[in-house]
Amino acid sequence: MTTTVEMQHIRKYFDSSQVLACDDVSLSVAKGEVHAIVGENGTGKTTLMSILYGLVTPDSGQILIDGAPVRITHPNDAIRHGIGMVHQHFKLVPSFTIAENIMLGIEPNSAGFIDGKDEADGVRKLADSFGLPVNPDLRIREISVGMQQRVEILKILQRNAQVLILDEPTAVLTPQEVREFLNVVRRLAEGGRTILFITHKLAEVKAIADRVTTMRRGRNVGTHYANDQTIREMANLMVGRVVTLTVEKTPAKPAATVLEAHNLLVGGAGGMPAVFGASLDVRSGEILGIAGVSGNGQTELVEAIVGMRAVDGGQITLLGNDVTHALVRERRDAGLAHIPEDRMTTGLNLTTNLDENVVVTSYQNKPYSRSGIFDFAPVRKLAQEIVDKFAVKSARVGEPIKTLSGGNLQKIVLGRELKGDPKLIVANQPTRGLDVGSIEFVHKTLIEARDKGAAVLLVSVELDEILALSDRIAVMFAGKVVAVLDRAEATEEKLGLLMAGSSLEHAETASEKASA
Amino acid sequence: MISFIETYQRPLRIVAIIAGVAVLLLILFGLPINLLQSSIRLSTPYVLGSLAALVASRAGVLNLAIDGKMLFGAFIAVAVLFHTGYDPIVGVIAATVAGGVLGLIFAVLYLRIRINLVILAIAVNLFIANATVYFMRTLYGAFGTLADPSIRSLPTIDLPIISGIPYVGQLLSGHNIVVYLSWIMVAVVWIILFRTQFGRHLRAVGENKAAAESVGINITRVQIFALTVSGMLAGMAGSFLSIGVLSQFVDNMTDGRGWTAITVSLFAFEQPVPAFFTSLFFGLSEALSFYLQGRPELQLPPDLLLALPQLATIFALVLVALRIRTSELLKRRDFAGQFGQELEKLRQGKLAGAGD
Amino acid sequence: MNFLRRILDSISIPVIAVLLGLLASSLFVLLANVSPIDTYQQLFCEGFGPRGCQTFGDLFIFQAPNEDDGTTTTVFSPLYGSGGSRLALILEQATPLILTALSATVAFQAGMFSIGMNGQFVMGAITVGFLGVWLPAQIYSLAGVADYESAPELLRTIMHLIVPLICIAAAMGVGAFYSWIPGYLKVRLNVNELISTIIFNAIAVQLVGYLVNFPLRSDQNNIARTARIDDTAWLIPFNRTVFADVEWFSGARVGVGLFIALIAAALVWFYLKRTTAGYEQRMTRGSSLFARFGGISTGKATLRAMLISGALSGLAGVIAILGVERRVVDGFNQTQTGFDGLLIAILAREAILGILIVAPIFAGLNLGAINLQFGDLPRQLGGIIISFIILFNAMEDWLRERLRGIFKPRPRPEAPEAKEVAAS
Repeated sequence: MTTTVEMQHIRKYFDSSQVLACDDVSLSVAKGEVHAIVGENGTGKTTLMSILYGLVTPDSGQILIDGAPVRITHPNDAIRHGIGMVHQHFKLVPSFTIAENIMLGIEPNSAGFIDGKDEADGVRKLADSFGLPVNPDLRIREISVGMQQRVEILKILQRNAQVLILDEPTAVLTPQEVREFLNVVRRLAEGGRTILFITHKLAEVKAIADRVTTMRRGRNVGTHYANDQTIREMANLMVGRVVTLTVEKTPAKPAATVLEAHNLLVGGAGGMPAVFGASLDVRSGEILGIAGVSGNGQTELVEAIVGMRAVDGGQITLLGNDVTHALVRERRDAGLAHIPEDRMTTGLNLTTNLDENVVVTSYQNKPYSRSGIFDFAPVRKLAQEIVDKFAVKSARVGEPIKTLSGGNLQKIVLGRELKGDPKLIVANQPTRGLDVGSIEFVHKTLIEARDKGAAVLLVSVELDEILALSDRIAVMFAGKVVAVLDRAEATEEKLGLLMAGSSLEHAETASEKASA
Repeated sequence: MISFIETYQRPLRIVAIIAGVAVLLLILFGLPINLLQSSIRLSTPYVLGSLAALVASRAGVLNLAIDGKMLFGAFIAVAVLFHTGYDPIVGVIAATVAGGVLGLIFAVLYLRIRINLVILAIAVNLFIANATVYFMRTLYGAFGTLADPSIRSLPTIDLPIISGIPYVGQLLSGHNIVVYLSWIMVAVVWIILFRTQFGRHLRAVGENKAAAESVGINITRVQIFALTVSGMLAGMAGSFLSIGVLSQFVDNMTDGRGWTAITVSLFAFEQPVPAFFTSLFFGLSEALSFYLQGRPELQLPPDLLLALPQLATIFALVLVALRIRTSELLKRRDFAGQFGQELEKLRQGKLAGAGD
Repeated sequence: MNFLRRILDSISIPVIAVLLGLLASSLFVLLANVSPIDTYQQLFCEGFGPRGCQTFGDLFIFQAPNEDDGTTTTVFSPLYGSGGSRLALILEQATPLILTALSATVAFQAGMFSIGMNGQFVMGAITVGFLGVWLPAQIYSLAGVADYESAPELLRTIMHLIVPLICIAAAMGVGAFYSWIPGYLKVRLNVNELISTIIFNAIAVQLVGYLVNFPLRSDQNNIARTARIDDTAWLIPFNRTVFADVEWFSGARVGVGLFIALIAAALVWFYLKRTTAGYEQRMTRGSSLFARFGGISTGKATLRAMLISGALSGLAGVIAILGVERRVVDGFNQTQTGFDGLLIAILAREAILGILIVAPIFAGLNLGAINLQFGDLPRQLGGIIISFIILFNAMEDWLRERLRGIFKPRPRPEAPEAKEVAAS
């Protein structure tokens, strides 16, 4: 086997967060191979690949390309050695055209002056040659996410990448787009290119990878041929123990309707509408999960429901009261709790201490304050209560919280939001970026709340999470709720089609055919 | 008010254009010609200053020390001429270079030593304001103003063909070289920003640092360069103030023009050509204030007139903000209207944007 | 022990910044062909030392000359001085600075980088400059009395109490309003407050200049000024009655003003740390998303902060006029009280206690620099020193890096268990 890429004994320790991201990791990949790197969040996969691409310098270890040791200290070095990387968060300039983005940094020019037309023609030819046609004059802010990814891939192909590193490439694609993408990968590999891709979606690994390397806690815990392992085995290797892929829960006992949203029209970035006539309802004692590829209006819908975004049309009713234009505080007083998508910027204020974070939703009430003046003893008690009840480690009353881990931070958010037994809990990506233990905890907590009678609106891009937790599932696509199904009727195939824009009838007939 | 604007959008737009053209014609032909000439002349520091602001801002760094750099340029121009007695053009060059050096120092302090941008700008502006007066007194023994026979103001230039054109020729010809340089700079900056590789890199750095970094563009180098150029333009603007029309340096010569220049850049959405025209407007407001002061019969208090440019600046700031707000609001209302149609289409089984 | 170390840690950088600032400025002194040591000696003496101070040592223990017999007595310098010691003079100068620094702090703590203190200051000053003349005049004519001299004792006492109060309230209101405008522009239209407050300052200065030169001009003095405010508006009488016995205090013009400033400082501290309104604006600063998420009305919190900030700067204007000057003179704000307050707030890291310490030091430095004028060097040297101090102070992180051994290491983050932040 001719090895194209070899990483030997890579070690990387991050001072700033005191984390050993890579602990003596070795990896070797053959030419033309599709090699997957799997692992949970935070296990060092991206760091390893960032080292290969020159974004991060390792403390020790070496990299060999085609058998010869190389020094890669900057992406330019990596590019020179034929390595290209497509990042999880696209690095494109919104106001530039596709051609301008692809040629960024290597623009053909004479004495500094660029010929725009030549550039665009060159890009068109390039794209066609790889079977990935694009319109080079469109601006990035005007095109779809799937197309943006194509631009990113063309960007590295333009730089003659022979080794392509793809970081979580399917995170933002619909199931259909994923299939399309996997085809592209196969084609590129057949053309002699080596593909390294980072993912935590094991189904994709089975679908396309030749070999897979599993990372856990910064170490390479094994490289196997993809065919030799089942998904269950891969998952176990990833977490080091037997994993239950389902959540224990009793069937739901839904009662009265708590939240009702009707024909909502909500504006998104730049005035364009993000929610375009969405309707749904959530009853007490049930979990309604909203499935959908990120970017289809879920965030804006949640913001509209909690009061952080203006509603341009339609109505929202909470426990029978019209709250369409109500303030955040009014909705919270009526029993709404919100676990936001971004705990670090929205759910918490990392510049201050535990007490001030914990009291933000209730500071205006007794006993925390009286006629505008604080009484700190009850605040401290509340903080301690949350720390105890939710077992938040390393958090102390009166101490800053910015050094806590994601899991512990999320526990603080949960503790605060669930205090006072809210009637409606809106949870937006509640387990994003958390380790398995924390994910389990969050799931358990949400189910407990549901059993106590709360209505839970869960938004997640992880289909597994939606399927595991929800009693009913709504699918959002292009700003609308295209279907609401009972859990029993929802299969991954059906949901996938709905998430990609099929009509309900089409999805149902297609899935019937699939299971027949 | 928003709904009023929305309902009568089209007619309002027409009215605005007609009004705009009318005002323009009124200004061009209604006002005395020397007032217009002053306007063009006095707009120069705003032109150069706003170019300085937008070059830096497009690279992702808000240059809040433009006023200080302008003042520095003004001082250096005078100081150099004082010592050497050379042709005033040397003063302009010296001021530009000095501004560039200051810009470079500013860039290093901000990018390498990571000082908070606003505090750094405050410190730099404060320092220049004090240091110029300090040196004026200690090195030159001057109180309040620094003037000397060896300091000459820039000569005016008569453009050969253009000066022959009736009316317009009088407006365009007969200015000093910094004025013409400022016009040239507008074109130069535009070309560099939109037609060269470097300009594209600069804009990329300002819009999406991560994208630029990922293709190997050296962010720090681009920003240092941008700030240096920004400083040079500001320095050049300063030279106009001290030796363009006058031939002396006065304590606090810039009088807040640096800040107005930043506003011009914001108002023009960081585009060179709109910045140029906006600067003309501010030049007019400044010229007006002097003109009205020279008309005692109108009995207008000089202090209030001096505040004219400032009031204009506030007006501009508010206009920019309003423009952004209303355009966004209007877009949303637009879609609310279309929404009804979309819903219809949905019911007929056509989905918007399925797949790719 | 921990408390002591925390205090040391927080003042160490500012102290180093001051030393470095003085060092850097000495370059400029050298450029003027003057000895830096002599200059600094005179600077500190004029700013902080007793009359007749010559050396650094004199700042602490001074040989005071006895007028009658030509001998000297050893005195503790800060308190020495008949007719008001240097300390009293510094405190008098520091009083408006404390208020404008508080004003800046309140604005910053809501996330508003407002530079508007100067404008609010002069607006407050002109308000009392006007009211201090007009209001008593109205009351006199209502009572059928000609002026202060012919007013009965009872009327005088009542007026002494209510006239200053009304003036203070009005000035604070005007200052608050003038600060509210840029605040409103920011909240509703997202107009950059840094730029708008600078422009508003310029407008205020011009407006006041106009008012002093024309409508409110009182006499044909060379330099335009308003009329002398009535005795009932003046705050000095309070000093004379209350502090008559404190030798080093009396005769100076400090007194009520300082107390007002200290009370304001305490109130601001209480407001920021102990009230819900203060909490709201601090959370708005840290992360406005978080504040809105929790239900805080960030717009209201911001506007509230701007109102309070403006009121404080207006109050500073009051103290300057009612407490010291007795009239508004054209160009009285040459020293840029408002802007200085801003610098003090930055240097003191927005800590109330820090402001109370830094303000007198700042005032002393400025005093020293102004009096240096009678020596060789222009008072701009003070400005140069201060700009260097600000610069070095802002280099905190960089300095800490360079001097790592001396400082306590930063708090250690959680032990690595499942860190996903950097590693993914």
